[in-house]
Amino acid sequence: MNTTVTQDMSLLYLVSSASLPVQLVMLILVLVSLLSWWFIFRKWFVIRHEIKKTDEFEDIFWRGADLNALYQRATSSRYASGSMERIFAAGFGEFNKHPFGSDIEAVMESTRRAMRATYQREMDHLESHLSFLATVGSVSPYIGLLGTVWGIMNSFRSLSSVTQATIAHVAPGIAEALIATAMGLFAAIPAVVAYNRYASDTDQLATRFESFMEELSNVLQRRAAE
Amino acid sequence: MSVSVLRNSSHSEPRLLLAGVLALLVHLGFIALMIFGLNWKDHPPEGMVVDIWTELPQPIQEPVKTSPPPPPPQQQPKPAQEPVKPKPPEPEPPKPEPPKPVAEKVAVTPPVKKPDIALKQKPEPIKEDKPDLQEQKKKEQEKIKEQERLKELEKQKELEKQKELEKQKELEKQKELEKQKELQRQKERELAAQRQREQEVKAQREAEAQRAAQQAAARNQVTNEISKYKAMILAKIKSRIVMPPDLPGNPVAEFNVTLLPGGDILDVRLSKSSGHATFDSAVERAIFLSKPLPLPPDPALFNEFRNLNITVHYRE
Repeated sequence: MNTTVTQDMSLLYLVSSASLPVQLVMLILVLVSLLSWWFIFRKWFVIRHEIKKTDEFEDIFWRGADLNALYQRATSSRYASGSMERIFAAGFGEFNKHPFGSDIEAVMESTRRAMRATYQREMDHLESHLSFLATVGSVSPYIGLLGTVWGIMNSFRSLSSVTQATIAHVAPGIAEALIATAMGLFAAIPAVVAYNRYASDTDQLATRFESFMEELSNVLQRRAAE
Repeated sequence: MSVSVLRNSSHSEPRLLLAGVLALLVHLGFIALMIFGLNWKDHPPEGMVVDIWTELPQPIQEPVKTSPPPPPPQQQPKPAQEPVKPKPPEPEPPKPEPPKPVAEKVAVTPPVKKPDIALKQKPEPIKEDKPDLQEQKKKEQEKIKEQERLKELEKQKELEKQKELEKQKELEKQKELEKQKELQRQKERELAAQRQREQEVKAQREAEAQRAAQQAAARNQVTNEISKYKAMILAKIKSRIVMPPDLPGNPVAEFNVTLLPGGDILDVRLSKSSGHATFDSAVERAIFLSKPLPLPPDPALFNEFRNLNITVHYRE
């Protein structure tokens, strides 16, 4: 009697004494939470790095630096280059491949296509894993809720065989079930916040890249006309 | 070619490992917060029910223990006897004294009055009859008579004294009688006290006997209750048995059933098989089917039902 009455109510005991489906749900949620936090930090570093590189390149570019020097810098030190540098390198490289005196419209069209292709690739890279964060943020509360509902179902089912029902019969089951919801929320909240933040950051970068592409094509067109 | 090189280079990601380590750190922090930050309840309220029922038998014994206090009344009468004994000697010394003065007054006064009457009555007729010689003779005769009278008086005094002595003796006898009566009264009182004590002892014995009888009755009631509910349990199980048809003889299956408070079945073990697996399994199914077994409302009796031996005969 006493052994059943004096239950250890610590977190580890509750987790270890939970039923198998609830434990599975908890395991999934822990893995999802770990992954989502890993992606949150990865994207944090990537986007910080990208914004810094873009700022640097724009600064150098609008100070009126030589385009050939910039191109050589971008292609030689490509591992440390930013997305905007790579877009510039792709556009300028395509522009230079055409022989002098060819049709300006055709040259500018192919240059713009090369820049757009690089832009798409860069944006794809920047926005990678953001969909995972969005999925975690929307789905993990439901996974946690499933675990909770399952645990409460079990605890009430065990209550049905007892004639004198007390809160002590249900409390441990509900507590262990609610841990699943807590874990789901713990995974979901940072994922949603990070997703919103990173989505707005990548949108800002995308508009900057697009405006840079337009301005670079203007610069190159003027250079071809000269 | 340069495009492909650029594409590969674009996938270089800084601080991949650092991101993983930071994610792990965040989770460790959260788990630590859950374990140490929250005050998980380690000591739920202790079950009171168990303590109450284990202590129940004691209140029944306590009245038996409290009955010894009545003996003190037995001790109290004893001190009451002791003060009674010293009292009788006290009245004895004063009583002999007062009767003595009474006896003396009676003895002194009568002899003084009687001679006066005798002298006045007798001399008057003597003076009228013979004045001279006869008077002398008469005087001598009177002297003789007086002497005789004196003697008679003395005799009377002696008699009176004897009477007084007799009276004193009678008084003394009366006193002795009174003393004896008092002693008798004391004895009677003592006897009454003894009777009271005996009555008290008897009453105690009777009360104890009554209590024992009550306890015995309660035990009988308990055993009746237990047997009644055991019969109810057996009847309920029998009503649920789907008897397998056409078994030879009268096989008997014995089961050992472990119950939980509330009539729930914890465990059913076949202690003695009937030899027919169909009958055994039918009885086992019936036991599980009659799941909330009827139990007496008094939880103290549950110990009698914790491990039930159930024997079922194929034919009644």
